[in-house]
Amino acid sequence: MSQLARHATVALAIARKDALSELRGRQASGSTLFFAALVLLLFGFALGPDSQRLSEAAPGLLWLAIVFGGLLTVARLHQLEAEDGAFEQLALYPVDRRAIFAGKALAASTAMLVLGGLLLPVVAILYALPIGAAWLALIATVVLGAIGFAAVGTAYAALTVRMRAREVMLPLLMLPIVAPLLLAAVKATAAALTGDPFGELGSWLQLLAGFDVVMLVVGAGTYGFLLEE
Amino acid sequence: MKTRVLGVAGLLAVIGAAFFGLFVVPADLNQGDAQRIMYVHVASAWIAYLSFGVTAMAGLGYLWRRDLRLDAIALAGAEVGVMFTAFAIWGGMMWGRPVWGVFWQWEDPRLTTTALLLALYLGYLLLRRLSEDPARRATRAAIVGLVAAVDIPIVHFSVIWWRGLHQGPTIGSPDKLLHPSAPLQFVAALLLMLGAFTLVWSYFMIRRYQLARIEWQIEEHGRVGRISAARRAAFGAPAEEPIR
Amino acid sequence: MTDLGFVVAAYGVILGGVAIYALTLVRRLRIAREASLRIRRDADAAPPTPSGGR
Repeated sequence: MSQLARHATVALAIARKDALSELRGRQASGSTLFFAALVLLLFGFALGPDSQRLSEAAPGLLWLAIVFGGLLTVARLHQLEAEDGAFEQLALYPVDRRAIFAGKALAASTAMLVLGGLLLPVVAILYALPIGAAWLALIATVVLGAIGFAAVGTAYAALTVRMRAREVMLPLLMLPIVAPLLLAAVKATAAALTGDPFGELGSWLQLLAGFDVVMLVVGAGTYGFLLEE
Repeated sequence: MKTRVLGVAGLLAVIGAAFFGLFVVPADLNQGDAQRIMYVHVASAWIAYLSFGVTAMAGLGYLWRRDLRLDAIALAGAEVGVMFTAFAIWGGMMWGRPVWGVFWQWEDPRLTTTALLLALYLGYLLLRRLSEDPARRATRAAIVGLVAAVDIPIVHFSVIWWRGLHQGPTIGSPDKLLHPSAPLQFVAALLLMLGAFTLVWSYFMIRRYQLARIEWQIEEHGRVGRISAARRAAFGAPAEEPIR
Repeated sequence: MTDLGFVVAAYGVILGGVAIYALTLVRRLRIAREASLRIRRDADAAPPTPSGGR
């Protein structure tokens, strides 16, 4: 088996393991979705009741909800292993660390994709958004945003999971890093929903893709150091 | 000692550059005396970027070499960098109020980028404070410093595009006001201040590095003392693993 | 506040901050060096207990 195929097998195995534990521990992932939806609801109370204003703010509110839910998601995907001491075992396997990172990041991306995908209809209903023809662009935005967030989140979750004050350290470290991702995702979402009047959708998606590539590379390169602690 | 000479040189250079910028260079025709703030504001920002660049490289070096001296350099860079970042933000606000009429403007890419810079590296310093084991602390810090450093260019582009595509009225277009009326002298004042700050930065880096090394030695001594004391107390049983 | 006030505020805080940092840094360094010397003196005076290696 070629090296690449071997790495891919490892990554998929790890992603599959995480996905199974997510599905089995359904309360945890369901609770995160519930929390994110609640955030959206509460934004309505905070910024409403003017529907016009809420519609305009909707892309930003959607992505804030995704980010908050995402923080819980990536933390959860590392917590189980930390509690069982599985981290140390993972470090003992003679597999390329980058494959392990790829697997964990894939699991996190998928979880966030599901989160974002399920929040889209919630936002559409609460803030009266005509999604219609924009659905493809919206999916693309959510995919790229999910991957970028998952890349940083996987690395930082592994970094903070055995620290004191980990609950606040993960958001504290992550939020400034994902600021450009948030900015670009919101602009792309808004552009998609309004029919892209200035032709900026492509640029924002490119920025997201660039962010994803950079963070995936750095995350994969440094994950091994975090396992070896 | 050579470092002391560096410090004195930096002090004199700063005084000289400040005098030049405040009293020798004429006021700008558009911005008035507020233009003078640019010399310390821009110089602070550049030094902050320099400092964080050092932090990122030193962290990378630590991951490669596992030499804690590199980690000490990274720490020095971050602490000094945070200070100059705060100066840059303060300077930007003091310039913004007379020129724009407001202390803060979301459309100014430099201000928003610098604010994010501050948040990133305050997080870095906090991360270090919450880690006790030196090796783990250095590893975690190196990774965070690296991620932060690669994030900054992305932030820079994103906030520039953010503004560029916005079509609403701006309070006072920042671009127009940045074209000074006597470019040569203003550039000279800026470069003078930049040179002075660089000397000061070098002095701070050396001293902060020395401090970091000594503090590490003291910390090591404390760790060894606690471990052997615990051993003695438990008659050879290993001490419980502390939170790392 | 006139323009001049903002200039003074900017230069005052920034240059003042540089000065304060310099002074506190030198002071921290002095304290750390004294502490380090004290530890070394104590270690020389009373050798570590033979409770096994590190």
